[in-house]
Amino acid sequence: MQHFIRRYGTLIGFVAILVFFSVMLPGTFPTARNWLNITQQTSMLMVVAAGMTVVMVMGDFDLSVGSAASLAGIVAAMMMSAGQPVWAAVSVALIAGLLGGAFNGAMVSLVGILPFIATLATMTMFSGLAFVVSGGKTISGRAIPEEFGNFARSGIPLGEWGGVAVSLPNLSIIAIAVIVAVWVLLEQTTFGRRLYAIGGNMEAAHLSGIAVKRLRLIAFSLTGLAAAGAGLMYASRVASANPVQGSGLMLNAIAAVFLGTTMSRHGEPRILATVVGVIVLGVLDNGLTQMSVDSYIRQVLVGALILIAVGAGSIGQKRP
Amino acid sequence: MAPPTPLLAATSVTKAYAGVPALSGVNLVVAPGEIHALMGENGAGKSTLIKILAGVVAPDTADIAIDGVPVKIDSTKAAYRLGLRFIHQEFNVVPTLSVAENIFMGRRYPRRAGFFVDWAALNREAQRALDRLGIDHIDPRQNLGMLGLGDQMLVRISAALLDDAKLYVMDEPTAALSADESQRLFRVLREIRASGSSVLYVSHRLDEVMALCDKATVLRDGRSIDSGVLSTITHDDLVALMIGRKVEEAYPKAAAAPRDTTVFSANGLVTPGIKPISFSLREGEVLGVAGLSGSGQGELIRAIFGDAKLTGGSMRLGTAPYAPSSPAAAWQSGVAYVPRERRAQGLVMRRPIYENITLAHLRRQSRAGTWLTPAREKRFAADLGATVRLKAVGPAQDVIELSGGNQQKIVFAKAVAGNPRLLLLEEPTRGVDVGAKFDIYSIIRERTAKGAAVILVSSDLPELIGISDRIAVMRGGEITTIVEAAGLREDDLVNLCYGRPTGMVA
Repeated sequence: MQHFIRRYGTLIGFVAILVFFSVMLPGTFPTARNWLNITQQTSMLMVVAAGMTVVMVMGDFDLSVGSAASLAGIVAAMMMSAGQPVWAAVSVALIAGLLGGAFNGAMVSLVGILPFIATLATMTMFSGLAFVVSGGKTISGRAIPEEFGNFARSGIPLGEWGGVAVSLPNLSIIAIAVIVAVWVLLEQTTFGRRLYAIGGNMEAAHLSGIAVKRLRLIAFSLTGLAAAGAGLMYASRVASANPVQGSGLMLNAIAAVFLGTTMSRHGEPRILATVVGVIVLGVLDNGLTQMSVDSYIRQVLVGALILIAVGAGSIGQKRP
Repeated sequence: MAPPTPLLAATSVTKAYAGVPALSGVNLVVAPGEIHALMGENGAGKSTLIKILAGVVAPDTADIAIDGVPVKIDSTKAAYRLGLRFIHQEFNVVPTLSVAENIFMGRRYPRRAGFFVDWAALNREAQRALDRLGIDHIDPRQNLGMLGLGDQMLVRISAALLDDAKLYVMDEPTAALSADESQRLFRVLREIRASGSSVLYVSHRLDEVMALCDKATVLRDGRSIDSGVLSTITHDDLVALMIGRKVEEAYPKAAAAPRDTTVFSANGLVTPGIKPISFSLREGEVLGVAGLSGSGQGELIRAIFGDAKLTGGSMRLGTAPYAPSSPAAAWQSGVAYVPRERRAQGLVMRRPIYENITLAHLRRQSRAGTWLTPAREKRFAADLGATVRLKAVGPAQDVIELSGGNQQKIVFAKAVAGNPRLLLLEEPTRGVDVGAKFDIYSIIRERTAKGAAVILVSSDLPELIGISDRIAVMRGGEITTIVEAAGLREDDLVNLCYGRPTGMVA
């Protein structure tokens, strides 16, 4: 029984939340349109959380993803406002994220600084850089090419639903693509297997011939790349960039991964579990907003939910 | 004359985990002034029984009496109050605190003015506790984490001996100790016995038990068998009691003598931990490495395994130069390693058996070195599991669910999976029960029969003599001598380890 609660408690709670909102908001919550909306609202968080899962599989984590997302948005916006083509701006922003992540990885694996300290430091560095590059201003309006802003607003038409045209938003498609890529990477390749081994026992992994340093470096780079991607998605969605717009992503991404770990066998992060974690957070946000619950109350509820889920996961687990 | 009231009498102890009986009506009677061995294979129920005595696990039924008075041990505090002390491998220690602070952990520190810790007195008291074991090389002010495993164990034992208790329960106390440290511990245990207190001694090392203990209780499949007085039975009888059948030989014989082809040679190896070391190994040969703990055995193995930077010297593997830059390169070249600590270094405990076995061989156990093929891996692991006589539900079972001996077989399966030319073993049978030990020795023999060479670092001297062809003795980071193992006596080997003259003809 304890085991059942530990393993499936989060899923049961998730279903309970769905039922609750469907009863309270029968006209607006359980509709295809709302669900497509949720996938779009959560797409940025989904991408960051997927990247976060990669490092958390190794038992590491990255606090700098929010700042990296902001920085990537700023870099792209600055380039576009300077007249560079969209593809070039996007590429440079992604490369910046990759390099930022590699820098994190180098600090953690080559220098040997604890991830908490290293990424806390780069979090403030990236954030400061975003301010320096942008001069502290929001870049918006005519500086942003229309095609960049339009991308987030469009999608693939899925037909009509109850007389309303619905479409799968482009941002949701990107999120799904990232999830699939991370799933393949973590669950289907030797790379993923090795990351899980590092997370389970770094010393044993090293002595089994796994290049621990190199893999940690690569994993952090991927997390940085994902953060930059999310930053670009955000900038496209609001057709502007400011140096703090990614700051809410980091805590939510870590929360989503932790929610996910309550569903796996030994509490290890799994990408599909992270997806459920993100959707739980997204549904709560969506439903509570529709019920006009004050946003500060929402924060209290979401925090409490994470404590309950992770706390229930610890039931019956012996202290080390 | 009526027998004296037992110091500890635990009768009809039963305990089942989720319906699976771990202990079914076990009796354990320890007389005052007795060193009593508790023996049995892994999984026989020893640790459950100890945990019940320690108040960590609640028994389903148990009648426990101390000095003839019925007691209930429902917490670790109760066990402590009743005069029971426990010394085991997973004892709580804080590596970042000093030796003295660890010794006094859970006790009141000496105070000055009733408030300030009297550090001088604390260190003095700690030194006294260490002195009792004749330990003069450990400074009580040193951080515990700076000490080797053996020394840490000595500190734990000193802490338990700090105040007088009725019964000391020791779980494999010598696993990390050198022969000399073990001897010092035995001296103290005999003092304890002389003072009228008792010791419950858990060990897989039969020779130790035979030499040290008065009586034994053997657990087998959750039931207890009283050995009677140990001085009246033989080593083989005791083994038969433990595994329920007669064993012919403790060490399987080699099928053939080593061949004359050189597999591996080291020429003047130097790393920060070792002085120039040279030796060579032939096909099918087992080279034992003996020495006091910290004499450079670990450093030598790490140098050969590419996990330490060579500052001098060279190696050859087969006919080619061998200079591994990392453990990955060593595995690639056909050098495999069974590390000293299987949990900390050998296994990813919460992953399945097959993932652990293929971890060092993923390049070959995958498609194009990239794509996982779990079905193939599982078949591969199941086949290997059979060759190492692994007892498990299946290749997908998590390693953490297995007994110590079976876990060690997985480490071996990983090591032999690539048909290594050179097998590096450190303490391969530590904490492994008699039956699994024999299986592990058989695996070593199978490898040498196939032409592999083996370097065996062990603190278990009978094992070194029983398995090795030659034994290299290390002292202060160098090999002082290499002797033939055949006919070598244990005390001669101990003397060699200390650099003392031996009675044997060179």
